Amino acid sequence: MIRTLVRAAVAVATLAVVAPAFAHATLEVQQARIGASYKAVLRVPHGCGAEATHTVRVQIPEGFFAVKPMPKAGWDLEIVTGPYANAYENHGTQVTEGVKELIWKNGNLPNEHYDEFVFRGTFAGTLEPGVFYFPAVQECANGEEAWIDVTGNPDVDGPAPKLELVKNEAGHGH
Amino acid sequence: MHPIWRHLRALCLAMILGVLTPSGAFAHAQLLSSMPATNAVLEVAPAVVELAFNEPVTAFAVTLIGPDGSRADLLERTTSGQTLVVALPADLGQGTHVLSYRVVSLDSHPVPGTLVFSVGAASGEPAAATVAADRLVGSALWLTRTLLYLALFFGVGGAVFGALTSVPDAARRLSLALAVAGLGLVPLHLGLHGLDVIGSDIAGLLEPRPWTAALATSLGPSSWLWLAAFALAILAWLRLPVLAWVALALAALALALSGHAGAAAPQWLTRISVFLHGVGLLFWLGALPPLLLHLARPGPGTAVALAAFSRFVPVAIAPLFLSGLVLAVVQLGLPGPAWISAYGLILAAKLGLMVLLFGLALWNRLVLTAPALAGDVKPRRRLALSIRAELVIVLLVLGLVAGWRFTPPPRALAERPAIADSSPLLLHLMAGNDMAMATLFPPRPGPVTLDIALSDAEGVPVPAQAVTAHLSSSKLGIEPITLPATDLGGAWRVENLQVPLSGDWRLELEIRKSRFELVRLATEFQLP
Repeated sequence: MIRTLVRAAVAVATLAVVAPAFAHATLEVQQARIGASYKAVLRVPHGCGAEATHTVRVQIPEGFFAVKPMPKAGWDLEIVTGPYANAYENHGTQVTEGVKELIWKNGNLPNEHYDEFVFRGTFAGTLEPGVFYFPAVQECANGEEAWIDVTGNPDVDGPAPKLELVKNEAGHGH
Repeated sequence: MHPIWRHLRALCLAMILGVLTPSGAFAHAQLLSSMPATNAVLEVAPAVVELAFNEPVTAFAVTLIGPDGSRADLLERTTSGQTLVVALPADLGQGTHVLSYRVVSLDSHPVPGTLVFSVGAASGEPAAATVAADRLVGSALWLTRTLLYLALFFGVGGAVFGALTSVPDAARRLSLALAVAGLGLVPLHLGLHGLDVIGSDIAGLLEPRPWTAALATSLGPSSWLWLAAFALAILAWLRLPVLAWVALALAALALALSGHAGAAAPQWLTRISVFLHGVGLLFWLGALPPLLLHLARPGPGTAVALAAFSRFVPVAIAPLFLSGLVLAVVQLGLPGPAWISAYGLILAAKLGLMVLLFGLALWNRLVLTAPALAGDVKPRRRLALSIRAELVIVLLVLGLVAGWRFTPPPRALAERPAIADSSPLLLHLMAGNDMAMATLFPPRPGPVTLDIALSDAEGVPVPAQAVTAHLSSSKLGIEPITLPATDLGGAWRVENLQVPLSGDWRLELEIRKSRFELVRLATEFQLP
């Protein structure tokens, strides 16, 4: 029976290779326009190894401002703010400080489950086209899963969730 | 159950599981634990290695690299699943083994890794430790080597003297017997040398491993030459005396091919020196027993033999003395602290005995030989006494020379980074504004300590939350050996990092500078 199960597992593995994989923490929408607002849906596919995740942290890098996280039932939301390196214009007002990190904590996401964490904000018009990363960290009782590698190498463990920034051809948009 | 049904059932089960399993729940696999544990030192070789992952994985490359660098493909012996089970070969030797693997998890993400474990003790420990580990092998090797030298000098050397002049029957029988014994001593010596090389005990002689290991060393060709030399010496005694000269050349050549001295640089000088040293010794020492027997019972051939000896011996001793001097200087360097090492002390004892020996030989040649040739009884008795003393000294010297086998010469100690006062390997890693200076010590295969200092590009130290070292070698086919570094308060250290082999390696440092900031620095280096 064990032999059968093992073969079955191998077969599942082969099947799953064919199916689209959601191995890493990723963003649902992987393209955004410079100078436009963006709703980020962070997809968290699993816990740390076999452990349940109790905290999800997302870093808000410079250039993504006016950030608002979506509250989540069963999770406490904490917002870390601080000064920006540059000032950004938000509907006529100069923004010099704001959200630096979002923390969903005291929750419970078992390894067997899948969940999404949502926040929105605006990409500054001064940003250049290219890859933009939102480094994220899952924390569990005895460890963590850090999605913070920004080398762009597809083979590394824990690549940071990313999207492609493109020029805003429609001008100013929301 | 019919095999086809078993396959079908597995397939059905797989499809059901596949449907029930949301593919999104699968991640790249993580190694949760292993049996044996990383860097474990086991008394007995394990039958299997188990690698437990957090999800089912499929192995597509599993290689075991042994302490001698040999590699075995174990993919066929690996069962995939949530726990990878690798059946190991039965004849796992002592030392450090490296299991390098590549598995693919359900998301098709390849996960490479390496498990290092040791049987008995980790390889790359100082050679003295392995010698001490099996005294029986060491003693047997020393004894066999001494006997082999005796067989060479009195068997082959005796045959040469026999080709030159008439010798008493007893001397002929002794030389012939030693040459026959030599045919048996050569393979025994080779096998014991193999045991010493792989660090096995005496029972290992029945296995092929020590033999193949020994044949691969410089002793392999030498052993064939010695066998030929003994066979030629026997033929020389039985049929064609002139073959003894060929045997002499082969035996001396074998000495030049193996051993510490022949391996020293400049090789043309040392190899020629050892060759001449061997020729001189074989000739001189081989003549002593026949001469002694002549003098004990003087016969018609005695005067002829003595005359032949006194004519040829300067030709043998002059190169012996010169080449010995050259070798001593090459091995020890000019007189200095190195002369007090174990190797130096053995050499000093040997040189002391040799001075005594040369003195006797000189007295023998200049004072005693002429009157002895004239037939005086007193000088003949003194000559016999002198030769007896020379033989005793020769035995002592041979014992000492065989003891050299266990003491690396100071030249080698200076070259080998294995010794405590060798300097560590310095590695410089840099990318962008991040820099790391790493030192690897000792710079040789085996357990090493990696010390890491992190700084910015200007060299100002920077803190980090965690540092992980990945050591891999694409040339050697070794997937990353991963070990976390411990924080020593500003500096980071990876202890007991098992680097199994010499060669080209790649060190990657994964530096967690802050919660959201990860830096990877890498460098390639060569481990001597």
